[in-house]
Amino acid sequence: MKLLTHNMLTSHVKGVTKGYPLLIKATEVKVNEVEFNPKFVCRMIPKLEWSALVQAADQLGHRDDLPRELVPDFEKNEDFLKKVHRVLLEVEVIEGCLKCPESGREFPISRGIPNMLLNEDEA
Amino acid sequence: MSSYNSPERNSSFLQSRLLGDRCQWIGTVMTWSRLQGELKASRNAVRMSMTQGAREKGRGSKRQSEEGELCHQESRKRACEFTSDDSDVKRLSGREQRRHATEVEKEDSNRELEEVCAVDSQKELEGNAERCKKDMDGLENDPPLESVEKVSFRINCKCSGSLSRCITAQEVSKVMGIGLSQMLGWKADLKNPKLEINVYLSDDYCLLGIPLTRSPLANRSYIKTTGLRSTIAWAMASLAQIQPGFRVLDPMCGVGTILIEAAKEHEAACFLGVDVDDGQLLKAEKNIAFAELWSRAHLLKASSLVLPLPSASVDAVVCDLPFGRKFSTRENMAEKLPLILREMERVLCVGGTLVVLLSPQLSFLLKKLLQTRTGPKENEEAESHAGINNCLPSSSEKQSSSSQEALNFSTLRHQSTQRVSLGLIDGLIHKYIKTLD
Repeated sequence: MKLLTHNMLTSHVKGVTKGYPLLIKATEVKVNEVEFNPKFVCRMIPKLEWSALVQAADQLGHRDDLPRELVPDFEKNEDFLKKVHRVLLEVEVIEGCLKCPESGREFPISRGIPNMLLNEDEA
Repeated sequence: MSSYNSPERNSSFLQSRLLGDRCQWIGTVMTWSRLQGELKASRNAVRMSMTQGAREKGRGSKRQSEEGELCHQESRKRACEFTSDDSDVKRLSGREQRRHATEVEKEDSNRELEEVCAVDSQKELEGNAERCKKDMDGLENDPPLESVEKVSFRINCKCSGSLSRCITAQEVSKVMGIGLSQMLGWKADLKNPKLEINVYLSDDYCLLGIPLTRSPLANRSYIKTTGLRSTIAWAMASLAQIQPGFRVLDPMCGVGTILIEAAKEHEAACFLGVDVDDGQLLKAEKNIAFAELWSRAHLLKASSLVLPLPSASVDAVVCDLPFGRKFSTRENMAEKLPLILREMERVLCVGGTLVVLLSPQLSFLLKKLLQTRTGPKENEEAESHAGINNCLPSSSEKQSSSSQEALNFSTLRHQSTQRVSLGLIDGLIHKYIKTLD
């Protein structure tokens, strides 16, 4: 699971009102080099929950010097775009789990794919 | 097409309808062989420049991959599987029909030409194809016969619908084969023909055409495990009007064919595939890795009934709802359809596009479900099946109390419905846009 995906995910357990962002408990994290596509990163940034991304990167120990607030004029700031590119696309959780901040329900991540299936009584 | 019970009448009917005019055939084949020549020349030109490049700069492998890209872009973009009205022969009769059949053939070749014009990145080739077209117009009056005398051909025929009970593909091939040999002196060659002739007869239309490429349009060098036919997947992705920065969701992604087709085409959008089945996800993962799309196409195990995504969080939803022979979930699907649609509607942002592929049965069901809500106004907008729509109210009234509660697609606006062939069965692509109210 890449953090770009994590940024979209929310807990959908019945009755939960604040299921976002999911906490990450990782047991295996990999960093794969991915070709830098500045246009893609630029277009994705406005769609992100910035604070959730910073928090997730922090939990994985890959925040480095990613700023707490989104920098203005990021389109022209290649250095910044590369940092975002790295946390969004290169850092990947292979094994671990995602935890619902409200109910505490844990969703396992195995072989890089989060399992967000609910039991019948949870949906 | 109508048909007769006696085989003799059938064959003379087919002969008169399908064979048509001699000059038309010759003209078409002339154009076809010229185009083949042009395509071959352009491929050679690219290859030459490639080897030159390799010698000069030693970067052969990169150029090669560029060439590969060019080739499959070419073939991908030729995906044109929508059935079009101008090939509807059914309503025409007698002489008109015969004329129409040959026109269809002409139109087909013209359309193929136009496709080549539209897709080819090399302007030069476009010019050449344009010239070919002009040449063809000139040829119709006075075709030089020598060059098309020794054509070997093979006929690929497909008959579907209730028509297939009266006429078999073999019969059609035989009639066509004998007819062409007699009329033009061409030779049938099943193994290695110069020319392939495709005939497709259904209850609604009759298509006659000559394929431009040797391999099927749906061939993809970047797909390992195929699911949905890739031309259909490509068409669905293109209907979704994906823009840079879009987040695109397939809530029942299977092996990921639609996402891959979409992701190949849109480099600045991200794609999320969801499925409940580990086996499918595993294949999808391999497909994505093979197509080198792992940075932008991601997977998730979840149910399409309860997606772990916030409301209004994706810009487009594309989905091939499982049905038909490959799956045994058809019964459940009809039951779940309203819930799946509601979940898709929830995660879509306002202005977002929904493109779904459905079986004829599910398509009908969905139309019915949406009608109970939208009332008669939408009826007029809905394409085709107008006659069926008018018969509906009595049955839908009975159901409305139960389905209206489950269904409240108040924001999904129907845009279009396209019928596509999936081989043995047909499917329907519905497109909706989510609106504010």
